[in-house]
Amino acid sequence: MFKFKHEALETNTGLLLVATMMAISIGGLVEIAPLFLIEDTMEKVEGVRPYTPLEQMGRDIYIREGCYTCHSQMVRPFRDEQLRYGHYSLAAESKYDHPFQWGSKRTGPDLARLGGKYSNEWHVQHLIAPRSVVPESVMPNYPWLLETRLNYADIGARMRTLRTVGVPYSANQEEYERNVKDFGVELAAQFHIPNARESLVAQVRAGNYDGDPTSVSEMDALVAYLQVLGTMVDFSKIKPEELVKFR
Amino acid sequence: MLEWFSHAENTKPLGLLIFFVTFCLIVLWVYGSRKRGARLEEHKHIPFLDEADDVKDDKHG
Amino acid sequence: MAAVQTQVAQQYNYDIVKKFAVMSLVWAVVGMAVGVFIASQLAWPVLNFDIPYITFGRFRPVHTGAVIFGFGGSALFATSYYVVQRTCQTRLWAPGLATFTFWGWQAVIVLAALSYVMGYSQGREYAEMEWPIDLLILFVWVAYLAVFLGTLMNRRQPHIYVANWFYLAFILATALLHVFNNLAVPVGLFSMKSYSLFSGAQDAMTQWWYGHNAVGFFLTAAFLGMMYYFVPKQAGRPIYSYRLSIVHFWALSFMYMWVGTHHLHWTAIPDWSSTLGATFSIMLLLPSWGGMINGIMTLSGAWDKLRTDPIMRFMIVALSFYGMSTFEGPLMSLKDVNALSHYTDWTVGHVHSGALGWVAMISFGALYHMIPRLWNTRLYSEKLVNAHFWLATIGVLLYITAMWISGISQGLMWRAFDEYGNLQYSFVESVAAMHPFYAMRAIGGGFFLTGMLIMAYNAYMTIRQGVREARIAEARVGPVAA
Repeated sequence: MFKFKHEALETNTGLLLVATMMAISIGGLVEIAPLFLIEDTMEKVEGVRPYTPLEQMGRDIYIREGCYTCHSQMVRPFRDEQLRYGHYSLAAESKYDHPFQWGSKRTGPDLARLGGKYSNEWHVQHLIAPRSVVPESVMPNYPWLLETRLNYADIGARMRTLRTVGVPYSANQEEYERNVKDFGVELAAQFHIPNARESLVAQVRAGNYDGDPTSVSEMDALVAYLQVLGTMVDFSKIKPEELVKFR
Repeated sequence: MLEWFSHAENTKPLGLLIFFVTFCLIVLWVYGSRKRGARLEEHKHIPFLDEADDVKDDKHG
Repeated sequence: MAAVQTQVAQQYNYDIVKKFAVMSLVWAVVGMAVGVFIASQLAWPVLNFDIPYITFGRFRPVHTGAVIFGFGGSALFATSYYVVQRTCQTRLWAPGLATFTFWGWQAVIVLAALSYVMGYSQGREYAEMEWPIDLLILFVWVAYLAVFLGTLMNRRQPHIYVANWFYLAFILATALLHVFNNLAVPVGLFSMKSYSLFSGAQDAMTQWWYGHNAVGFFLTAAFLGMMYYFVPKQAGRPIYSYRLSIVHFWALSFMYMWVGTHHLHWTAIPDWSSTLGATFSIMLLLPSWGGMINGIMTLSGAWDKLRTDPIMRFMIVALSFYGMSTFEGPLMSLKDVNALSHYTDWTVGHVHSGALGWVAMISFGALYHMIPRLWNTRLYSEKLVNAHFWLATIGVLLYITAMWISGISQGLMWRAFDEYGNLQYSFVESVAAMHPFYAMRAIGGGFFLTGMLIMAYNAYMTIRQGVREARIAEARVGPVAA
């Protein structure tokens, strides 16, 4: 019969190393590996799309300023959260989020369904001086967002990188046509990497996020991002029972 | 039977089982034999061997 | 005695241990000061001063980075190099490589802090460092593993003492976690920006697998290694049960890796995976408490040391906080409790009862024990150690009490309904209600920081005294030798 000798383990550095490695790897493998293998993890819902160049730049500012240290982006399936924020978050809704920004703390409210709840003017005012619109707020002022021109020189490189990790931005005609089929002509044009800068500026002009359509400020990008949060999926078209099996 | 393993939700009982068996083996091994126990407990004096080169500190003997 | 000490100093490489010990004190002061500052920002937002570099969002990772990796990391490097040499009765292997780990690690902490205030962040909690810093960490870590293993292999003692198992598990697990959680593609070779390889739910799973096990192995297993050496040494008696420590080790290293998903209860990950995390979190209570009992019972029969030895008191209180937070943790991992506690200050309080109560206090104990021995002298003042002890204890208690009250009231206010079934409070009402507790938390942190400053002063005076004594001894020996 095989006789296990712990003495070997205690006195042999290599064996101790291997055994420890095994002990610590199993848990991670069982917990995480299935998520990468199983299709069930994510619902298939319509409407989820990559961010436009401007929104993606805004998202990068959101990360730069560390907004996730105080705001979550993950509504849980409770009645109070449903009333306060809206429909609970679906996994599919963050499938183009590199990295995810679900957060772990609500010093401020959840932002997963922020889009469309307030006007652009409100957001600009609130970001410059939060206490001018919400007196009890403890959020820092972000006046420099309005004053700083958005540096979007590398937006093409950013989109190409995101394409590498799986976001369906298009780099060629074939991919562009695929996007036209999946997201429609207008969005497909925005997702086309060679046109990235032009689409970004065009969205600033059309959206007028910071109140000045001629300049491209960091505020434009951030507000554009905040306004799209949680608005991609039309929940009036989804039956609740279709989502149950993913919980 | 093999199909049972391929369902992700079964990792919980499976994990528990693996854990429980391993744990029992370790506990049995550590506490199972008096001789081995005595040998293992010897090792707890190692931190007191470090002051004078290889000489056992008789204060903590 | 002095002759033996000199001999010991030559026998072991103390130079590297001294460097890390000093830096761990420096980073403790810096990191805790930043912590008190950002805590004050939450109570009085005017303290953000409209300066981008010091806003809460950018400064918070500076705080976590400086205390976890600066203070905790340096303390672990120092103690692991000290313990592995002394329990193997051999000199550190590859001293050049060990020196590289020192400069490399300090560079990591400084670069990380600078990059955060400049706005370079991966947006992953406790792993905010961008990719060039991640690469540097990887090099340092491989060197660390090599030095540690090399020393283990050169040992003159057939058995590897259990403290080294914990340190080894910490080094291995940290390497594994660091690599997988930081898989990212840089935007360009000269760009600090990168995008994570995974997205959404998978990214969340990876991050919290990292996030929790950083706590499990960096902040727990490694400090248990510290405990298994320094508690017996300071008490002057061997660990209560060596067999228990073996069971403790295997159970802990096996179970910790399963529990990360309890950070993601009720989010968009599959239910089975979060239940699995909760189950293992509950089971984790057993080895955790086994370890705590093992440490505390080491004192059995010598309880009077608690009255007479302030260093011992640090260690025992640390173990008590370890026991308390490893009870609170599984409780908070229950899905129903988590529904209330998640996203609130309760989590912050829990982390700090572990970080201040357990990690910092056991490190204080170890450093107070180690510093006089490194510089071959006595501690400058035991009275100051005592003062530090009380300031630290009061500080932690204030901090976690404030966070318990504010966390639970947040959770209750968010889910309160009025008689018509509408939400009773707006979100901002909950923010306003937290103000006194945020102030109280900042004060608690202030207490802890004051204690830390006293320790730094005490250590400085001790080292000065040691250096002076060495110089005198040298002067006295000098002419004779000549």
